[in-house]
Amino acid sequence: MGPLGLKIIYTLITLVICGVYGLLLGAFMAKTMARVQGRIGIPLHQPFVDIIKNYGKRTAISHGIMFYLGPVFRLTGGIGTLVFIPVIFGSEYFSNFSVAGDLLLVMYFIFFGQLGMALGASEGGHPYSPIGIARGLAQMCAFEVPFALAIIAIAIQYNTFSITEIVAAQQGGILSWTFFTNPFAVVAALLAMLGMNMYPPFSIVLAPQEIPIGPPTEYHSAYLGMLQSNRAIFAAAKLVLFMNLFFGGATNFPVLVLKTWAIYMCSVLVGAAFPRFRPEETIRFFLRWPTVIGIVGLLFAKYYLI
Amino acid sequence: MGLYLNQYPLASIVLITGFMMILIGLWGMLTKTNIIKIIISITVVETGVNVILVSIGYIQGRTAPILDTAVLQIDALSRVVDPIPSALVLTSIVIGLGTTALMLSYVIKMYRVRQSLNIEDFGVLKW
Amino acid sequence: MVAYFQNPLNIYITAMAAAFLLGLVHKLGKMASLTLFYGALTMMAAVTLGSALSLSQPLIIQTAGFIAPLSINLQFGYYEAFFTICVNIAALLGGLYLYDYLKDSVLARALFLMLVVGINGMIMTRDLFNLFIFIEITSIATYGLIGLDRNIKALSAGFKYILAGGMISAFFLLGTALTYYKTGTLNIDQIIAMKDVLQDPIGLTAITLLLTALLIELKPFPANGWGLDVYQGSNAGIAAMISVGVSTGALFALYKLLPLFPAQHMGIISGIGLATFFFSNLMGLKQTDAKRMLGYSSIGQMGLVLLALSFFHTAPLTMFLGIVGGLFLNHFLAKAALFWIAGIVKKDHIKEWGILSQSKMLTVVFIIAVFALIGLPPFPGFWAKWQFIMVLGSGNHTFIIAAILIGSLFEAVYLLRWFNYVLAGSEEKLACEKSKRVPVLIFGLITAFISALLIKSSLGPQSSIYFFPIAFAVILMFVGNFIPTKLRALFAISGISYLSYYVQMNVSGLNLIFAQMFLWGGMILSIATFYKTKAKPATYGLLFLMLASLGGLVLSRTTLEFFFCWEIMTLASYLLVISGKNAKKAALTYITFSLGSAAFLMAGFALSNSLTLMGLAALPSSQATIVFTLLALGFLIKMGAFGVHIWVPGAYAEAEDDISAFIAAILSKAGVFGLFVIAIYMQSTISNSTLAYSLGWLGILTATFGALMAAFQEDIKKLLAYSSMGQMGYVIAAVALMSHLGWVTALYLSINHILYKSLLFLSVAGVIYRVNTREMYKMGGLIKKMPISFISAMMAIIAMSGVPPLTGFGGKWLMYTALIEKGWHLQAALAFFASGIAFLYMYRLVHSIFLGQAKPEHKDVKEAPLWLIIPQVIFMGLMMVGSTLPRLWVEKLSVAVGEFMPSTLTWSGQTATTSLGYWNGFMVMNIVGVIFVIVLIFLLLTFQKVQKVKQFNIVFAGERPFTPETTHVAYNMYAPVQKALGGWVKPRATAFWDGVTEWSHTLSHMFAGIYTGNGQTYLFFILLFFLMLNFLIGAN
Repeated sequence: MGPLGLKIIYTLITLVICGVYGLLLGAFMAKTMARVQGRIGIPLHQPFVDIIKNYGKRTAISHGIMFYLGPVFRLTGGIGTLVFIPVIFGSEYFSNFSVAGDLLLVMYFIFFGQLGMALGASEGGHPYSPIGIARGLAQMCAFEVPFALAIIAIAIQYNTFSITEIVAAQQGGILSWTFFTNPFAVVAALLAMLGMNMYPPFSIVLAPQEIPIGPPTEYHSAYLGMLQSNRAIFAAAKLVLFMNLFFGGATNFPVLVLKTWAIYMCSVLVGAAFPRFRPEETIRFFLRWPTVIGIVGLLFAKYYLI
Repeated sequence: MGLYLNQYPLASIVLITGFMMILIGLWGMLTKTNIIKIIISITVVETGVNVILVSIGYIQGRTAPILDTAVLQIDALSRVVDPIPSALVLTSIVIGLGTTALMLSYVIKMYRVRQSLNIEDFGVLKW
Repeated sequence: MVAYFQNPLNIYITAMAAAFLLGLVHKLGKMASLTLFYGALTMMAAVTLGSALSLSQPLIIQTAGFIAPLSINLQFGYYEAFFTICVNIAALLGGLYLYDYLKDSVLARALFLMLVVGINGMIMTRDLFNLFIFIEITSIATYGLIGLDRNIKALSAGFKYILAGGMISAFFLLGTALTYYKTGTLNIDQIIAMKDVLQDPIGLTAITLLLTALLIELKPFPANGWGLDVYQGSNAGIAAMISVGVSTGALFALYKLLPLFPAQHMGIISGIGLATFFFSNLMGLKQTDAKRMLGYSSIGQMGLVLLALSFFHTAPLTMFLGIVGGLFLNHFLAKAALFWIAGIVKKDHIKEWGILSQSKMLTVVFIIAVFALIGLPPFPGFWAKWQFIMVLGSGNHTFIIAAILIGSLFEAVYLLRWFNYVLAGSEEKLACEKSKRVPVLIFGLITAFISALLIKSSLGPQSSIYFFPIAFAVILMFVGNFIPTKLRALFAISGISYLSYYVQMNVSGLNLIFAQMFLWGGMILSIATFYKTKAKPATYGLLFLMLASLGGLVLSRTTLEFFFCWEIMTLASYLLVISGKNAKKAALTYITFSLGSAAFLMAGFALSNSLTLMGLAALPSSQATIVFTLLALGFLIKMGAFGVHIWVPGAYAEAEDDISAFIAAILSKAGVFGLFVIAIYMQSTISNSTLAYSLGWLGILTATFGALMAAFQEDIKKLLAYSSMGQMGYVIAAVALMSHLGWVTALYLSINHILYKSLLFLSVAGVIYRVNTREMYKMGGLIKKMPISFISAMMAIIAMSGVPPLTGFGGKWLMYTALIEKGWHLQAALAFFASGIAFLYMYRLVHSIFLGQAKPEHKDVKEAPLWLIIPQVIFMGLMMVGSTLPRLWVEKLSVAVGEFMPSTLTWSGQTATTSLGYWNGFMVMNIVGVIFVIVLIFLLLTFQKVQKVKQFNIVFAGERPFTPETTHVAYNMYAPVQKALGGWVKPRATAFWDGVTEWSHTLSHMFAGIYTGNGQTYLFFILLFFLMLNFLIGAN
C-alpha cells in the first residue's frame, strides 16, 4: 500500500468523521430551533435514522437521466469539496488531496454539486424546484460578494491562495488568527455564511410553507438519502474551510470540532431569532452592509496589513 | 475704389454706373417675387457687368478696334482701344441673350403648370 | 485615322459637327439621327482614350493659328486626361441611359452633346474667358435638358438652377473683367505667373469673384439649396450627369485657378470643403427622398474632394491622383450608378425601394455603390480616404480628421438605412429597359475592376495574399446560384483549410495562436452550416471572406493591411448578419458601430504617423497614449464593451443561427487580437498607466453588466449575446493587466470562449431549428428529445461558469490569480460578482430549454440535424482533452506570451504554480471522475429497479395539474433580482444611444431648414457666401 493508498484511506476516515459530525450538527440545529420555539424537538440520532430509512426504501421513480444524476452530482460536489480542503493542519494525510488546487479550486468546486443538483431537480418538472433554484442562485450571487471580498482580503494578507499556507500563517497564538488580524473580513465572511447555510432569515430556497423544501421537492428514497449525506458532509466542509481561513485551522480533531461548532452557532443563533426575508430583501441585504464591511476588510488588508 | 478717377473720368463714370447696375440688379433678384421682374433684374446685372467690361477696355482718345480704312493696320495698336474687352462684351451679350430666352421659355412653361408668376409658388422642393 | 484619335481637339469637332448635323440627319429618320448621336458620343470617348494613351507629355493645343496668349489654347495633360476620360465615358453611358429621354427630341440630343462639350472645355481650356463660355454652354445645356421635363418639380428646380447660374455667371464675368484689368491677359498660365499683381484689393476681389463662381458650381454649404432641388427634381439621368459631369468640370476649373488663391488663405477652401462634407451628410440623415438623399451625398462627396484638393493641388501626380483622383473616382462611379438606379426604380420615398430587390444585378451594383460611398474596401474611396487621413494625421489635423470621420458615419447611416429598405423587398414589378440596365452594369463592373487593380497596386508585393481570397470569395458568391449549397460549402471549407495552412506557415507565436483560433475554429464551425438544406447564394462566399480577412489580420505587417482586413471583415460580417430574416434593423446598428470602430482605428493609425504596426512601438509616450486610446476604443466597440455594446444583442440574435456562432465564437476574437497587437507594441507606455487601469475597470464592468443583462433576457440568442459581451469583458480586463499571467488568461479565456460559445450557439441553433422560436419560455423539457444538444449545452455552461473540472476553471484560476497578483483587488471582487450572476443566466438557459415541463406541441421534436451535432462533438472532445491535460495548451500560451515579458507561470508535471497558488487540472479531473463514478455505482446498487414516470407525473399544490406544461417556470425568472437591483439594471446605454440618434436627426432637420425651397433664399445664400469669402480674404 503506497502513499496514495494511505491517503485514500485517511480521506475516507475524514469523510466518515465529517459526515457523522455534519449530521449531528443538523440535529443540534433542529433541536435548538425547536427549543427556541418551545418544542421538544428531535433526538440527536434522528438524522441517522432518517438517512438509513431513506437508503432502505424499496421503490424509486425517475423523471429522467438528469434527474437521476442530480444527487450524484450533488454528493460528488460535497465529497470533492471536502477532499480538496486540508482538514488537519500539519498532517500529511489529513490534508487530503489539497495538492490538486488552492482556495480558488475549492471556491469553484462548491458550485459543481449545486449546478448538477439544480439541473437534476429541474428535470423533475415540479414548479417549486426552479423557483427554489432561481432564488438560491440569486442569493448566492449576493452573498458571494462579501465572501469574495473576505477571501481577497485574506489573499492580500497572506499573499497566497494555498489553504495550507494560510493556516500556517495563522499559527502562533490566538491573536494571529485572521479573526483578530482582520476582523472586518471575517465579519463579512460570517455574514456571507449565514446566506450559505440558508437558515432564516435567508431560508428563501427551501422556504417551508412557501415552496416546501424547494429544489429537492421531487426527490425521495435513496436520492434524498444522498442529498442528506451531502448536506452533512458539505456543511462540515464549509465549516472546516471557514475555520482554516479565519480561525487558525486545527491541528487535531477535538480542536476542529470545537472551532467549527462555534462557527456553526452563529448561523444557529441568528436562524433561531429571525423570520424569513423575501428574495429581493435577501439580495439587497448582502449587497449593502456585508459588502461595505467586506470592502473595508479588503482595504484594511491592502493598506494596513501590508 | 481707388481707380484713376481724375485721369479717365469717362471710364470711371461708366465703371461706377456698371457697379450701380449690378447692385440694383442684385437687389431686384433678392426682393422681387415676380419671376419676370427677377429675370429683368438678372439682365440688369448682366448689363452692369458688360458695362464694366467695356469701361475697363476703354482708353481715352482712341477709336473702336475695327480694322477698316479709318484705322490703318500698321499703327492699329496705338490708335484703337483694347479690343479684347469689346470682344468679350459681344460674346457675353450673346450668351446673355441665350440665357434670357431660356429663362423666358421656362417662365412660360412654369406659368402653364402653376398659373402663377410668384416665385414663392415654386418652392415644391425643399429641405 | 490614328491621328484623329490622338488629337483631343477632335472631341469638340466631333461633337459640334454631330450637333449641327443632327438637325439635318433627323430628316432622314430617327434611326440615322440616333446613330449619329451615339456614334459621336462613342467617338468622343474613343478620342479621349486614344489621346490619353498616346500622351507622353502634357499636350498644349493652340487654336486659330496663333500661339497663346494671342489665341485661346487648350491643355491636355495627365490631369486633364484622367478627368476627361471619366466625363466622356459617363457621357456615353449616360447618353445610353437617357435613350428614352433623348430619342424623341433631336433638341435634347443636341443639348446633350453641348453639355458634354462644355464640360470637356471647362477641363481643357487655359483661357479665362473661354472658361466662362464653356461654363455658360454647360449651364445652358443643363437648363435646357432639365426643362424638357414638363413637371412642376423639374421646372421649379431648373428655374432655381438658372437663378443661381445667373448669379454665378455674373460673378465669373465680373471676376474675369477685373482680372483682365489688372493683368492685361486672359491666359490662365500668364495670370498665374503674374499673380503678385493681383495682391491689391481689386485683384483680390477679382480672385474672390472667380472662386466664388466656381465654388458655387460645386454647391458648397450653405449656398447649395438650388443644387439639392436640381438633384431631386430633374430626371435621374440628368441628375447623374450634373453630379458626375458638371461637377467634374467645375472641380477641374477650380483646380486650374487655385494657384491664384493666396496660399495663406487655402484654409478657407479646406474649411468650405469640410463644412460642406459634414453638414451635407448631417442633413442627409433626415432625408427620405432617394434622389435628394443622393443629392446630399453628392454635395458631401464633392466637399470632400474639394477639401482634398485644397491640400493636394500642388502635390505630385501620383499623390494627386491617388487621393483627389481616388475620392473623385469613387464619387463618380458610385453616384452615377446610384442616380441611374434611382431613375430605374422611379420611387421617390426610400421606403418604397424594396422593388429594387427584384433585380439581382441592380441590387449588387447598388450595394457596391453604397459601400464605395461609405469608403469600405476594396473600392476606390477606401484607398484614397486612407491616404488622405494618413496625410492629415501626419500634419496633426485632428479636427479635420474627426469631422471627416463623423461626416462619413452620417453618410453611412443614411445610405445603409436606404439599403435596408431595398432589402425589404416588394410585390410590385420592376420595369427596366435594357438601355438603362447596361450603363449601370458597366459602371458596376468598372468599379469592381478598378477596385481589383487598387488592391494590387496599393498593398504592394504582399497584395496577392489579400487579392486571391477576395477573388475566391467573390467567385463563390456569384456562382452561388448555379451550384448546390453543399458543394459551395465544400469549396468554402477547402478554401479555409488551404488558407489556414498558408497562414500558419507564415506566422508564429501569438499570431499563430490567433490564426488557429480564427481558422481552425472557423473550419469546425463551417461543418455546422451544412444543416441548412438551402443557404442564400452569397453566404459561403461571405463566410469565407470573413474568415480570410481574419487570417489576413494575423498576417498583416502594415497599418494599411491591418485596416484593410479589418474593414473587409466588417463588410463581410455585416452582409452575413443582414441576411438573417429580421436582421435589417440590427444589422444597421451593427454596421454603424462597426464603422465607428473603424473610424477610431483610422484616426489612431493616422495620428501614429506609422506605416507599420511595428512602428507603433517607437511612439513617444504622450502620442502613444492618444493613439492607444483611439485604437483601443475601436477594438472595444467591436468587442461590445460596456457603453458601446448595444449592437451586440441585435446582431447576434438576428443573424442566422449558424452565423451567430461564427460571430460570437470567432469574430469577437478579432477585437481581442487588435487589443493584443496594440498592447504588445505599446507595452512600455501602457504598462502601469492610468489607461490600462481604466481599461481594466471597463472590462470588469462589461463583464458585470453583460452578465446582468443576460440574466433578464427571454430571447435565447440575446441571452447568449449578452453572455458573450460579459465574457469578453473578462478578456478586456485580462489584457489590460499587462502582465504575463494576465495575457495568458486573456488567451485562455478567448480559446475557451470559442469552445463553449460554439457549443452553445450550435446547440441552440438545433433547438431553434426544431421548435421555431427563440423565446425560452416557449420551450421546455427538450432533454428527452435532444439529448446530445443537452449534453453539449450542459458541458458548455459548466465550462463557462468556471466550475471544475472542465476548462472554465483554468480561466477563473488564472484570472483571479492574475488580478490579485497585479493588486487589482476590488476588480477581482467585482469579477466574482459577475461570475456569480453568470450562473443565473446559465441555469436559466439550460433549465428553460431542456428541463422542466415539455410543451405538448413539441412532442414530435427530433434531435438536432447531424451536421450540427458533428461540430459539437468535436468541440466537446477538444474540451475534454483541454480539461484533462491543461498543460498541453496553457504552456503554449505561456511561452507565446513569454516572448514579450518574463513568465510567471511554472510547471511541475501537470501542476501549474504561480506566486499565489497552484492548480493541477489532471488531478482534479481524476479525483472528480473517481468520486462521481463511485457515487454513481453506489446509487445504481442501491436501486434494484427504478420506475420511470412520464414528465407530467407531478403533484402540485396537492393535486395533479390538468395542464402541467403551464407549470414550467421560465418566464421572467429573475424578477426578484431585477427588483432588488432596481436602477442598476435599467438600459441606460441604450437610452443614451437612442438620445444620440434623436439629437443628430433633430439637428439634421434643423439645418436642412435653411433650404426653404424658395429660389430667392438660395440666391441670398450665394450672395452671403461671396461676402463671407470676400471678408475672410480681405481680413488680412
